[in-house]
Amino acid sequence: MSSDIDKLAEKTANLSIDPVYDTNWCDMPAEIKLECIGKMKFKERMSSDIEHLTDTTEKLAIDPVYDTNWCDMPDDIKLECIRKLEFKERCSLRCTAKAEKSLVDSQKIEFFRGDVYKTNAFQFYESEIVSLTKMNGKEFSIKLENPQEALKFLNHILKIGVFEHFIISPENATVRQGLINYPGIISSKTIKFNFCGTEIVVAVLQKMKHGVEFISMYCSEEFDHDFDKILEILQIQNVPYWFCNYYHKTDSLHKVARMWIDTQAKVGFTFQVSVYKKGSFEEFSEHFTDRIVSKNEKRVRIRTNNPDCHILLERGTVRYYGYIEFFRLLVISVKMKESEYDDNCKEWIMDMDPTIRCDSYDFL
Amino acid sequence: MSSTEQGTSSAAPAEPTTAPESAAAPEVPESFYYVHGKDKVVHKVSAGALQHSALIHGMISNLGYTEEQAKANPFPFENIDGDILQMVVDWCNQHKGKPTPPEDTNLPKQKEKLFDLVLAVNYLEIKELLTYCCKQVAMMVKGKSPEEIREIWMIPTDAEDEAAEKEAKKRAGKEAAGETAAAAGDAK
Repeated sequence: MSSDIDKLAEKTANLSIDPVYDTNWCDMPAEIKLECIGKMKFKERMSSDIEHLTDTTEKLAIDPVYDTNWCDMPDDIKLECIRKLEFKERCSLRCTAKAEKSLVDSQKIEFFRGDVYKTNAFQFYESEIVSLTKMNGKEFSIKLENPQEALKFLNHILKIGVFEHFIISPENATVRQGLINYPGIISSKTIKFNFCGTEIVVAVLQKMKHGVEFISMYCSEEFDHDFDKILEILQIQNVPYWFCNYYHKTDSLHKVARMWIDTQAKVGFTFQVSVYKKGSFEEFSEHFTDRIVSKNEKRVRIRTNNPDCHILLERGTVRYYGYIEFFRLLVISVKMKESEYDDNCKEWIMDMDPTIRCDSYDFL
Repeated sequence: MSSTEQGTSSAAPAEPTTAPESAAAPEVPESFYYVHGKDKVVHKVSAGALQHSALIHGMISNLGYTEEQAKANPFPFENIDGDILQMVVDWCNQHKGKPTPPEDTNLPKQKEKLFDLVLAVNYLEIKELLTYCCKQVAMMVKGKSPEEIREIWMIPTDAEDEAAEKEAKKRAGKEAAGETAAAAGDAK
């Protein structure tokens, strides 16, 4: 201890600083000092070691570290600042230097909505558009003439973005391929596929972070989905609410019900489909003849392997609305009485297809 | 507001002030602590104001100083410039016992001061003030292009960084060679 005090006295004399206080740094045991040094940032560590700092500044003959700027900030502070930057500024910052790029890319950013689509097909030059809406409603759109650039940007936003809603309607082959090959995880509470092929739907869904709350997919004759492939995806098996619009085959209902039976889906799970072809209801009934609990022209209720759950299929019809049929499939509690059924199909049909938000249609 | 005194030796004991309490509540004398920065100017700050700093609060809790001991042993923050510490002390006093507002417009706008303040606040672990400061730092580059950001925050380009790194390596090599030569000379 006395040798420490001697050293301390020598140091203070040499450095011409104020005398020693009763209790101070030098009285601290080594482990406490180490604990304190561990809490110090680079600059403070430099400052704490006065001799070292003096030596260094003398040798280098440069200004000491006090001309403070962004580059003097420790990474955790930089990250705190980056979290407060808007998306546009983050994009600018990541272009300044490699180190800043890597910091920006390490930070997630929340978006209310992300939308990948193509400009109006009637425009002479078609471009891929990536539109992002922040949680505060601010919008940011970027028109990407070059598909490679579009792909690069898309990869970036998929990597850093945490979305409430993500909508994919890619028409460009490069962008489509890029989405299929994207190596990371996509984080979004809901996802909507507009006229995408099964390949892209399957690939994207497999990359979705678990916990997706809602999935919707729009089909067309060109892009009719292969339900066998889609139903194998875990994210589809676990999503509590999903729908498929404008399907052209009659196999979706019984296949989804079979998947739910096999995976023991929970009460409340819902699947809705609009089909351009007649026969889905009948096909469902035929597949589950031995499980039917009750049946009429509007509903079929079947048993599952779980004694607590039934599956209810409901048909919703819109008079004078072409050939399309609407169906809702639900996992319900066995205790649910027929009197508790929801007879108003208008609401769930309109959720699926906002284009029929019109009083001139009769919902049966 | 804190009383500010030049040098530790001239620090005079201050009259304890009392926080306004309801008539029924007994008045508890407020304790004061002393801090100084690089300029050795001692700032007298109430324990209530210092509660904003997790670092100082932890030190106070562990030390259990009496008023006299606290006065005799100002907390030394040699790594913080005097004017920056003054700003921190002022902020702590202004926000003593108050909920912190969502915005703080009194922070310095000059970038050098702001960055120094950020470092000090980070060191002193004043979470709310750090949040304000970081927001202020972010505001500096609002709507700016990469070039403008590089200029405002003085971010070197990758090429400049590489050149600086090379230079540092070169210098370190020379120093090492010099030290070896000196050691060899001493051995002789």
